[in-house]
Amino acid sequence: MDVGRHPNIRLLAYSEVEKVEGEVGDFRVTVRKKARYVDESKCTGCGACAEKCPTVTSDAYNLGLGKAKAIYKYFAQGIPSAYTIDPTVCRNFQPGKKCGVCSKVCQAGAVDYKMEEKIVELEVGAIVVATGYDLFDARKIPEYGYGRLPNVVTALEFERFLSASGPTHGHVYRLTDLAVMETLPEVKKNQQKAAKGLERYEKHFALASDAFYTQYETGELQDDDHHKWAEQYKVYRVATEKLEALQAKVDRIHGAHRLAFIQCVGSRDIRFNKYCSGFCCMHAIKEAIIGLEHDREAEVYIFGMDIRAVGKNFEEYRNRGANEAGIKFIRSRVAEIIEDKDHGPILVYEDTKERQVRQLPVDLVILATACQPSEGVTKLADTLGIQTNEFGFIDTASYLPLDTSRPGVFVCGCAQSPMDIPESVAQASSAAAMAAQVLSGSETERLAS
Amino acid sequence: MNRDVLVIGGGIAGIQASLDLGEMGFQVHLVERLPSIGGKMAQLDKTFPTNDCAL
Repeated sequence: MDVGRHPNIRLLAYSEVEKVEGEVGDFRVTVRKKARYVDESKCTGCGACAEKCPTVTSDAYNLGLGKAKAIYKYFAQGIPSAYTIDPTVCRNFQPGKKCGVCSKVCQAGAVDYKMEEKIVELEVGAIVVATGYDLFDARKIPEYGYGRLPNVVTALEFERFLSASGPTHGHVYRLTDLAVMETLPEVKKNQQKAAKGLERYEKHFALASDAFYTQYETGELQDDDHHKWAEQYKVYRVATEKLEALQAKVDRIHGAHRLAFIQCVGSRDIRFNKYCSGFCCMHAIKEAIIGLEHDREAEVYIFGMDIRAVGKNFEEYRNRGANEAGIKFIRSRVAEIIEDKDHGPILVYEDTKERQVRQLPVDLVILATACQPSEGVTKLADTLGIQTNEFGFIDTASYLPLDTSRPGVFVCGCAQSPMDIPESVAQASSAAAMAAQVLSGSETERLAS
Repeated sequence: MNRDVLVIGGGIAGIQASLDLGEMGFQVHLVERLPSIGGKMAQLDKTFPTNDCAL
C-alpha cells in the first residue's frame, strides 16, 4: 500500500465529501475532515495509548468478534497509521467523567481531546467515485436465524476467523464454544484469588487448608480466625469446582469440523435483491478450501442453486475445491436453519437431485450475504449530482460503464455494480484513464466539439 | 484546466485509481470515510483463485 507515501497522493482519511460545485474541469469540493482526536502528523502508531486505555469495546474491523480500545487503529497495517479516539465510548467524552490516560502515555504528544473537525476546500478537474458496497443484513431472513442462532455467521465474519491476524488466530470454532473459552481466564483469576486468600491463614497457623478444614469440621479449632479461614476455604472450594468443571468443558471443545455455506443470502431473491452478487460463489469456495487446509478432517458443504465460476481460472478453482479439497456441493436452496440442544445448527433443505427433504447437522453455518449499494451512496449521489439505478448503485449507460450522468465524474468498482477484485482493479485503472483524459484537456475538447 | 483529481473511497478500486493517477503525475486527493484506507479487501485473509494474501 504505497498510497500513504506517494508524493502525488494526498490522503484525507476519516473524511467525507460535503458539497460539490462547478463543472467538469473545474469542480469546487468541500470535504469535512472528522476529528480523530489524535494528530496524524505527530502519531507514530506505537500503540502505547491503546495498551493503557481502560475502555474496552468491540472491534469494528473484526466485525465485533474481537475486542478493541476506545483509542484504536482500525487494523494493524492501516494507513494512515495514526490512532483514532472513538468519542462515543471514550471516558473523556462522557459527561462528568475524566480519564486522560492516553494523553499522558503518548510520548509524541499527539492526543488532542479538543481537536475539532476541519473543512477542506479542494479544486479538482475530475472526480472518481469508488465508494464500494455494503453487505446485506442477514437478519432480514429470519428463517436462517442470523443474530438469533449463535453458530450462524456471515462469510466476512468467517473470513476473520480464518485470518491469522483475526480474533481466533486462524482457528475455526463455534461461536458458542468461543464464548465458553472466553470465560476461562476470569474464572481462573477468581480461583487464584480465593487460593491466595488462604495463604495468610496457612502461614499464620502453619497448617495446610485441607487438613485444617477436616479438623474444623470435627468441631476442633473454633476461634474467630478459624471461622474466617473456614469461610474462605469454602469460597476456594466453590471457585475450584467451578474452574474444574469449566476446564473439563473447554477440554471437550474441538474446532468446528462440519461447515455449511449457504449461497445467495439476499441475492437472486425477489424479496430483496434480484441480481446476482457475482463474487460470493468463488468467495465461499475459497473459504471452504482455506478451511479444509486448516483442518484436513473438516466436512464442508456448499448449498446453492448453481455455482457461478465466471472468470480466469475460476472453474478450475471450483473443480479443485471439489476434487482435491473435498468440498461437497449440494444443489439446494436451504429452507430453514434450526438448532439442537447444544446450539448446533441443523439445515433443513430439499436435495433437488434426490428429490428428498433432508436435515444436516453442522457445527457452523456461513451465509454468503449479498453485495448491496453502500449506505451513504444515495446522499453522496445527491451531493455529486449523479443518478443511481433501480438497485441504488451508481447509474451508467450500457456501453459506458465508467461515465456517471455528470460529465467529469467517473465510477469504478462495486459502487457501480457487484464485482470481484480483479474486475474492480481493471475498472479503477479505466476510470483513472478517463479522468486523466479530462485533466489533460482532451475530454473537454471532445464535449465542446 | 485544473490538474487535481478527487477520488472518493479508499478501497481497492479507489486505491488503484489513485495510484494510477498519481503515477501519471496528477495531484490526487483521496477521501476515505473510515480512519484507515483498505476497504473490504483489508478484511479478507486470502483471495481467489490463487489463495494469495489480500494485504
